[in-house]
Amino acid sequence: MGTENPGRPNFPARPVATPFAAAPPQNVMPFSSSGPLVGSEASGFRPTPPAAPQPTVPFSSSRPLAGSQSSGFRLPPPPRYNDPSLPPPASNVPPTGGLFQHFPTPPFPSTVQAPASRVPPVGQPIAQPPAPPVSFRPQPQIPPVPMGAPPQSVNSAPPNVNVPYSVSDSSFPAPMTNFQSSFPGYARMQSNADLQPPPMQSPFPSHQGGYAPAPPTSSTPFLSHQGGYVPPPPVAAPLGLQSRDQMQYPGSGPPGSIQGLIEDFSSLSIGSVPGSIDPGVDPKALPRPLEGDVEPKLFSEMYPMNCNPRFLRLTTSGIPNSQSLASRWHLPLGAVVCPLAEAPDGEEVPVVNFVSTGIIRCRRCRTYVNPYVTFTDAGRKWRCNICSLLNDVPGDYFAHLDATGKRIDLDQRPELTKGSVEFVAPTEYMMRPPMPPVYFFLIDVSVSAVRSGMIEVVAQTIRSCLDELPGYPRTQIGFATFDSAIHFYNMKSSLTQPQMMVVSDLDDIFVPLPDDLLVNLSESRSVVETFLDSLPSMFQDNVNVESAFGPALKAAFMVMSQLGGKLLIFQNTLPSLGVGRLKLRGDDLRVYGTDKEHMLRIPEDQFYKQMAAELTKYQIAVNVYAFSDKYTDIASLGTLAKYTGGQVCYYPGFQFAIHGEKLRHELARDLTRETAWESVMRIRCGKGVRFTSYHGNFMLRSTDLMALPAVDCDKAYAMQLTLEETLLTTQTVYFQVALLYTASCGERRIRVHTAAAPVVADLGEMYRQADVGAVVSVFSRLAIEKTLSSKLEDARNSVQLRIVKALKEYRNLYAVQHRLGGRIIFPESLKFLPLYGLALCRSTPLRGGYADAPLDERCSAGYTMMTLPVKKLLKLLYPSLIRLDEYLLKASAQVDDFKNLEKRLPLAAENLDSRGLYLYDDGFRFNIWFGRALSPDVAMNLLGADFAAELSKVTLSERENEMSRKLMRILKKFRESDPSYYHLCHLVRQGEQPREGFLLLSNLVEDQMGGANGYVDWILQIHRQVQQNP
Amino acid sequence: MCLADLEFDYINPYDSSSRINRVILPEFITQGVLCLFYLVTGHWFMSLLSVPYLYYNVRQYLQRKHLVDVTEIFNLLHWEKKQRLFKLFYLIFLLFLTIFWMILTALDEHD
Repeated sequence: MGTENPGRPNFPARPVATPFAAAPPQNVMPFSSSGPLVGSEASGFRPTPPAAPQPTVPFSSSRPLAGSQSSGFRLPPPPRYNDPSLPPPASNVPPTGGLFQHFPTPPFPSTVQAPASRVPPVGQPIAQPPAPPVSFRPQPQIPPVPMGAPPQSVNSAPPNVNVPYSVSDSSFPAPMTNFQSSFPGYARMQSNADLQPPPMQSPFPSHQGGYAPAPPTSSTPFLSHQGGYVPPPPVAAPLGLQSRDQMQYPGSGPPGSIQGLIEDFSSLSIGSVPGSIDPGVDPKALPRPLEGDVEPKLFSEMYPMNCNPRFLRLTTSGIPNSQSLASRWHLPLGAVVCPLAEAPDGEEVPVVNFVSTGIIRCRRCRTYVNPYVTFTDAGRKWRCNICSLLNDVPGDYFAHLDATGKRIDLDQRPELTKGSVEFVAPTEYMMRPPMPPVYFFLIDVSVSAVRSGMIEVVAQTIRSCLDELPGYPRTQIGFATFDSAIHFYNMKSSLTQPQMMVVSDLDDIFVPLPDDLLVNLSESRSVVETFLDSLPSMFQDNVNVESAFGPALKAAFMVMSQLGGKLLIFQNTLPSLGVGRLKLRGDDLRVYGTDKEHMLRIPEDQFYKQMAAELTKYQIAVNVYAFSDKYTDIASLGTLAKYTGGQVCYYPGFQFAIHGEKLRHELARDLTRETAWESVMRIRCGKGVRFTSYHGNFMLRSTDLMALPAVDCDKAYAMQLTLEETLLTTQTVYFQVALLYTASCGERRIRVHTAAAPVVADLGEMYRQADVGAVVSVFSRLAIEKTLSSKLEDARNSVQLRIVKALKEYRNLYAVQHRLGGRIIFPESLKFLPLYGLALCRSTPLRGGYADAPLDERCSAGYTMMTLPVKKLLKLLYPSLIRLDEYLLKASAQVDDFKNLEKRLPLAAENLDSRGLYLYDDGFRFNIWFGRALSPDVAMNLLGADFAAELSKVTLSERENEMSRKLMRILKKFRESDPSYYHLCHLVRQGEQPREGFLLLSNLVEDQMGGANGYVDWILQIHRQVQQNP
Repeated sequence: MCLADLEFDYINPYDSSSRINRVILPEFITQGVLCLFYLVTGHWFMSLLSVPYLYYNVRQYLQRKHLVDVTEIFNLLHWEKKQRLFKLFYLIFLLFLTIFWMILTALDEHD
């Protein structure tokens, strides 16, 4: 274990010479290339076929077809510049959006449509380029390509849409402004113009080859009416935040709808007209992540040898090149790592065994060999990509280079082609022989535990999982139970019955029979089974209400300290005896809002922190399962999990009948999922940058080494980096995550993920390459950590403040060139950031105050969110809401229909139709909402005879009819798609108070609720703050 | 006190924090005694100077924050180092003053 390199990651080095060094970040400015063309070539210019996807387009991160946008815009590059009347960009631009309202409206209905029409191809992300218009209005359609040369003569001004585009990044900064500022007014007039179908769309591509771009034609008339004004408007519109949204609500392009994503930002009009009353935002137009988390494609396309984003995601893949640039990036700069993320079949991480050569690593920085190293000197040396030191290639690893400098055996070397590999570690990487998987169960058997039925479920589940515990035949297992005394069980294989030993001296804990408490499962199998069978009945009549949790924990620690392993604690009562006893706290309303508030969320007794530190030292991971309906001080208990890389599962008010299934599933998953034992993780990165803070459940063993007694696929870790040098000279920064662990099979392994990211000099580029999922993930961890040291209010404010700062900075970036008027603009890549920020502020750990969430739930949600991988976290923050009844009523619903079902609705109460049946799914539970006017048939079919009863007492089970079976199938499918937690089903009927409130309504993050903002208010509030000058 | 620097490199947090924690209480006590000593011997100015330090220490102790926490040590490393350096400078300053007073009194007596 400890050998995972003491070397420090940063060494002075020359710029790395790699194949990539030559190629500067490509995505700089897709449009810029066409700039020069605009003026000079009239007919000669051939538009790029609209369909050709351009991976480099900045928008492409979230939209499949984004490429067509850019090409679409380039299409019509008419020679306008020779025209003297070309208005200097600024002149086009009305100082405020309001001005545009004076436009003569008449032109629009007629020919103007044409320009509008050009747009849609751009904005329709899902449509194939020649897709039929959504809401095609028969307009006088201009013959797309009347002549070889576009009728430019008519053009008195550059009405042409693409002008601003092409120039946008070159010498004419302003044209963009056209789009921008012209919008607010413009949109108002042509309410539907955004959605106007492109009459030319389909003909266009076909003509492209021979004809000059048509658009000029269309725009000409337009212009003439405009009296020289060039509102190049429509173009930008569909590009708006989310064309998706617009498609969903066709015809909803009311004033203030989303407009203008010109170059690479989206903007949202917020009543920019001076003098208008309260600025209105169209709620429908706001961006929503209805398609779930989208991994940034741009990044992986640029560096195909990077590891998959499920393992490593950077908050922005453009690393700032200077400290000053980094300080203007107000969002977290860092990464989210999920080292053992589950890979789909066929994409498993290849295992490499360097038997003869030993693992190839850089001598100086200890980087593992990876796809980005370069071989030189005829293959005898390799240059480390992180510290650029030349290393010798060991004889056994030598291979000749081909003409391009690549090794000839490249295809047989996964470590040189894949971003993720797993090395089999030789004995130098072990401090002791690899440990077997060890499971120790510490079970509360006090009276409340017995009554809840928890013991029974636990015993049954463990018994059923015995076969699937990883690491057969080495697996070891042990049990202890506690109430006011501690009970150990001797399960030596020679016995037929387990022997129980009771230790009641809590002040001086000792372990009887230190050797036989932890036994090899395969040898003592029958004894273990006997024990588990008799466990529930053994304590049936226990009336002990005390809990000697602290001493029991110590005892378990003593038993396990030889080997390490996983300690599963099942806790039902507030620890009341011995060391580590806890007081009732948290029901004191007065503490909230004071400076002492955060004390409730940190462990009360130092014992827990010290214990956690000791446990990690001995490679013990703690998973806490808590069941009480009363206060159990999860804040203190969770500390154990937090510093040992474990997790907290909390089942408030556990009842056998309701939560049994959930516990069974989650415990089984905990026991059977692939687990990495006694591991350490380090992330290395190139010179000049350094990871400085780490967030998640682990313990730092040195400044950059995370100790993780157990890791599995459901755990992710976040880290933030800082720049150490004022200026980065390299063009690429490499990151390498190395997790050294013992696999359950007893092999010591190193899992290595490598990724490269370009260094950029421009803030806009950083925004363009931002990954909202990772940003939100780091944000939420920071916010939760903040709740441990200050008030909830402060934590929420800090989230908001950072979003505001980031957007303000972004605004400053563009506000100078483009008069933005009253619009809020944000980068395309971060368009969901405000919404996720809102959702975060309203998530269980951060929401409201005393009454909004019980302290225990708050803490356990906080601990859980600290470990969640990006995808799950986003799902939890912005759950899906799906309408079910239509699907259920459809007669011929087959599995393939299922796709249609996955249409997520915005989380607002207005989307709940009282005639409908809705499923709310946040990754942890299902809430099924029965509308008041839902047809009784459906309810009867699903719930059986008691459909009219109070739903809190009804559980959903399969009934003898098609509809019920269908519903169960759906739920099953959703559960299978995300097996890490069991979605417990809650049924709730409309108007059923207070359950409806806390199960569903308080989770509809877009609605106003209590003191919390709704989405619209939130956007307005952020907008107002962004606009305030610093 | 400068053990904080020590664990910056190759010492593991368990050892370093236990070593730091061992000297913290003695340090507090010495400081308190010194302060009292100044007061008793009538150097009210000196004791006034060391009162803020004493107050800080006592407050830390009462808040139970005086001991270094193994689990958080790396997050707090920066702050701890700063704090300790500040304390060090403060002590050096006190020391200088003491010597200065001593010389002054010595000179006075000499005259």
